Amino acid sequence: MSFTASFLGALRVLVVNIAVLDNPSPVILISGTRPNGCPHFGTQVRSRHSRAPLSLLVREGDMRRIILPLTLTFLVLATSAFSDNDELKEVSFLPQWIPQAQFAGYMMALEKGLYERAGLDVDLLEGGPGKNPMAYLLNREATFGTSWLATGIEERALGLPVVCIGQILQRTALMLVADRTRGVTKLQDLAGKKVALWVGPFGLQPTLYLNGKGIHVQNLANYSSIELFLRHGVIATWAMWYNEYHLILNSGFNPDELTVFDLKDSAFDFPEDGLYCLEETYRKDPGMCAAFAAASIKGWLYAFKHKEETLDVVMRYAEAAYTGTNRAHQRWMLSRMEDLILPGGRKQTAGKLDLKDYVAVGEALQENRIINEIPPLREFYKGPE
Amino acid sequence: MTIRFHQSILFKMTLLVLGGTSIVFGIVLFYSYTNSRRIILNEAEKTARNLSLSVARRLEQEFRAVAKVPENLARVLEIRADNSKDRLDSLISLAVESNEEVFGSTVAFEPQVFDPALRSYAPYFYKTDLGLGFEQLAASSYDYFQRDWYYIPKVLRAPIWTEPYFDVGGGEILMATYSVPLFKRESGGKKGKVEGIVTADISLEWLTKRVATVRVARTGFCFIVSGSGKFVTHPRDLFVMQESIFSIAEELHEPDLREIGRAMIRKKSGFVPVDSVMTGGEAFLAFARINSPQWSLAAVFPKDELLEDLAQLHERILILVVIGVTLLLAVSVIVARSIAGPLVRMADATRQVTRGDLDIDLSDIRMNDEVGELARSFTRMTQGLKERDFIRDTFGRYLTREVVNNLLANKDALKLGGEKREITLIMSDLRGFTALTSNMAPEDVISFLNRYLAKMVEIMVSYRGVIDEIIGDGMLAFFGAPEPLPDHPALAVACALKMQAAMDEINTRNEADGLPHLEMGVAVHTGNVVVGNIGSELRTKYGAVGSDVNFTGRMESFTVGGQVLISQATFDKISDIVDVKHTLEVRMKGIPEKVPLYEVIGIRGKYDVRLPEREETDPVALEQAIPILLHRMSAKVTRRTKTAAAHITRLSRAAGVVSLDQPVNQWEDVRIQVLGKDMQPTAGEIYGKIIEVEVADDRYHATVRFTSFSPEVYGLLMKKAFPDMKKA
Repeated sequence: MSFTASFLGALRVLVVNIAVLDNPSPVILISGTRPNGCPHFGTQVRSRHSRAPLSLLVREGDMRRIILPLTLTFLVLATSAFSDNDELKEVSFLPQWIPQAQFAGYMMALEKGLYERAGLDVDLLEGGPGKNPMAYLLNREATFGTSWLATGIEERALGLPVVCIGQILQRTALMLVADRTRGVTKLQDLAGKKVALWVGPFGLQPTLYLNGKGIHVQNLANYSSIELFLRHGVIATWAMWYNEYHLILNSGFNPDELTVFDLKDSAFDFPEDGLYCLEETYRKDPGMCAAFAAASIKGWLYAFKHKEETLDVVMRYAEAAYTGTNRAHQRWMLSRMEDLILPGGRKQTAGKLDLKDYVAVGEALQENRIINEIPPLREFYKGPE
Repeated sequence: MTIRFHQSILFKMTLLVLGGTSIVFGIVLFYSYTNSRRIILNEAEKTARNLSLSVARRLEQEFRAVAKVPENLARVLEIRADNSKDRLDSLISLAVESNEEVFGSTVAFEPQVFDPALRSYAPYFYKTDLGLGFEQLAASSYDYFQRDWYYIPKVLRAPIWTEPYFDVGGGEILMATYSVPLFKRESGGKKGKVEGIVTADISLEWLTKRVATVRVARTGFCFIVSGSGKFVTHPRDLFVMQESIFSIAEELHEPDLREIGRAMIRKKSGFVPVDSVMTGGEAFLAFARINSPQWSLAAVFPKDELLEDLAQLHERILILVVIGVTLLLAVSVIVARSIAGPLVRMADATRQVTRGDLDIDLSDIRMNDEVGELARSFTRMTQGLKERDFIRDTFGRYLTREVVNNLLANKDALKLGGEKREITLIMSDLRGFTALTSNMAPEDVISFLNRYLAKMVEIMVSYRGVIDEIIGDGMLAFFGAPEPLPDHPALAVACALKMQAAMDEINTRNEADGLPHLEMGVAVHTGNVVVGNIGSELRTKYGAVGSDVNFTGRMESFTVGGQVLISQATFDKISDIVDVKHTLEVRMKGIPEKVPLYEVIGIRGKYDVRLPEREETDPVALEQAIPILLHRMSAKVTRRTKTAAAHITRLSRAAGVVSLDQPVNQWEDVRIQVLGKDMQPTAGEIYGKIIEVEVADDRYHATVRFTSFSPEVYGLLMKKAFPDMKKA
């Protein structure tokens, strides 16, 4: 990257800061870290309907909350613009779903310059339905991606050259949520009934769970909403504790009107989101991979410590992607993330894959004949020990 | 005594008025406010419910109109499934162009349905500022198969209204879509598999504008939430799509709002009070179901505004109340002052009266009310007290309390101004007292006199006599005035007899004390005299004047010791009950004929009094006459007397016959000195009155009735007269 380009980038950040100061309407332009690159997820958040975060209306001092990080960003970038940053390694990263608090740690790592400090120029790609990170890795459309552990093991066992460089979620957030008001009180009530399940790799664990219970349901594809469930297209839906479960609650259901089968309480409490890359990527630059994982974990710790700031950032990313979410939902999600990433508040296991979990997931896959052999841990896992 | 403010009438009345009126007004205000409030809120509820229902119904019709577009399109396509691209385009673009409410429309096909070569096909026409826009949704970045607007109706095999969403890659606006499944027609008109979805979009901006035209009171507003509580329209744009009523409730920590949200998506209509940041404070929320998209329209009525007029009205009433209470307060102060002022004046006057000053002037208190009446009564009272004082001053010393009280009670009978009235007078005198006391020690005179007078006054008062005058030993009293006493002659005579009878006791005590023996004469006369207040302002006395008073005085001079003489007038009144011992006939100055006087010794009847029998023996002749000096007294004092040598020839206990050679007159008062062997006067004197004169042997024999003696001379005489008798 040339000096001129960096300088221009820094200049653009400066302009943005002034714009924000001058104009309190939330037309916010945020420079990315690639001044010469094409706009990518997170680089441009533009509200064409003059929409501002709810917090702007209900609380004071939010402008300051926005300006301060921006100014910090500017300072960091301005400094880096004049320093030798040609050594930053360009990588891209695809989370497995739409921008939301599920990926707040990565957003914050990017926002707070943690990746940059780790020598990485990260391009945070916008995930969503139809964007499978494993496919992106194989197609080399992304350097890093997130995936559930079960999926990771499955892919590896099937011969995909992917490695796990960090296990972020230590537990499962999967739950099967049924409408109690429509008569579902136990799992057996679902037998033969329509149940909404995500298409793609997310369906693995639910299938194993129901198989394990000997319940056969009629799966209907579920995409990015809970509408099918709300409109009685299905009697139950698979939900993430941090996401769909809360969406259902905030569609007017009270918890006692739902029957919830929580996989955390089952044998299928598989750790979920982990960081993955191609084995080849890892072999070429294990240091970079370790730095990415470490910076990501730092991002998470930062996010849990600065929740309001993090929510501001998350909402910005979400609005940019028109996900139609709200702060209350993202707050719930961020808190659940903390429960799942730091179970019992333990920070020492953050980002690490537990051998027991690995074996449990592997054996479950093997037993269900999804894989023939459990890949050796050493080959699969390259993350922090 | 000082009255502190908090004890004053002013304070109490003020407090009473202030407290009373405040309470009354307060109750009235409270009642009026709560009642009006209830009425207003009831009205408001009706209005709000009606408004929300009517708006919901109106919108529903518009939604139905929108829904008709894809429904009709679907029907057309189902009937004539021809895969002409141009025909499809023209059908869709016509639908968009000819329906104002429809923002955009597409027919999205299942894979290979429209064209076996195409996985997806969805021509999308939509309105732009520059006319109709077009987008082929089958572009790779827009996988419509997964979109709710496509997927849900396909699964449900039924039309749906989607939740509001931002259509990235499609219309690029906030919209909601009505999606109708396009069925493959099977034989018998049965619906086969879904071949595609026909849609019509509405712009939420359009809907928002539409809803914004609904006026809800002055500052109220309407909003719409979807079947899952998401905002479809709201005056705050950013709520739409992002927020739901539940997320707001959660973010603002308003559990009540969540309950309202639940009611809105579950019930057909409702009316609830709400206090939320979302509604901008306290408000009432009326909601009604829009049936077609299963959305709920809410109208928010700010409570302040609903109650604004009421509050203003009551504010004004409150001001009036304050003014009214203030006026009342002022009036009460004036009234209290007008009462308290005179009362204070009267209290002062009372203290003045307590001090004995009865000159009270309350004439400036001129009110005609109770206070004025009190003041006038007070003035009358002091006047009464003045009279009473006067009466007491005038009669107190001489009248019994009973008489005084009677007089006070019966003031009509009492005319102090002077009147002519028939009364009976008593005059008494101690015979020879003046002369006798000229030789006594002054303190003896006083104690002597007081003993006598005390007894006599006591008796007179007991017989309801009014003592007119006491001069030395003489007393003038009358009966029948000021208190009218019908039997005043009898009372007077009885009194006189009682007085005379009391003399024995007095004399016994006097003699025991070595004081002279005294005889009293009493005269009683009935006549018409003038009675009234006599004197000046400084000294007034109630007394009697008239010739009958003088007559009584003269009568008295004819008495000798122990006698009660009554006049003809008195006698005529009570002749049937009196016992007369003697009748005298005397000459009086200024009266040509002889005047009869009756010596009374008893009265019968009601006042039954009788003088003890006196030892009235005739004087006995002495063996040897006792030489004496006879002093004839023209005045009471012996200074200008004629003295003659004489002898006592006969003697009784009460009288003696004096023989002398010069003439003497009947009724002359005389003093007798007894001469000793050396023919010198011995100590002591005898006083007496000549009651009879006889002339024999050229000598005058005067019977002298003794009225008083020095003790020594009385003993001497008695020894000489009755040497063999012990002293009585």
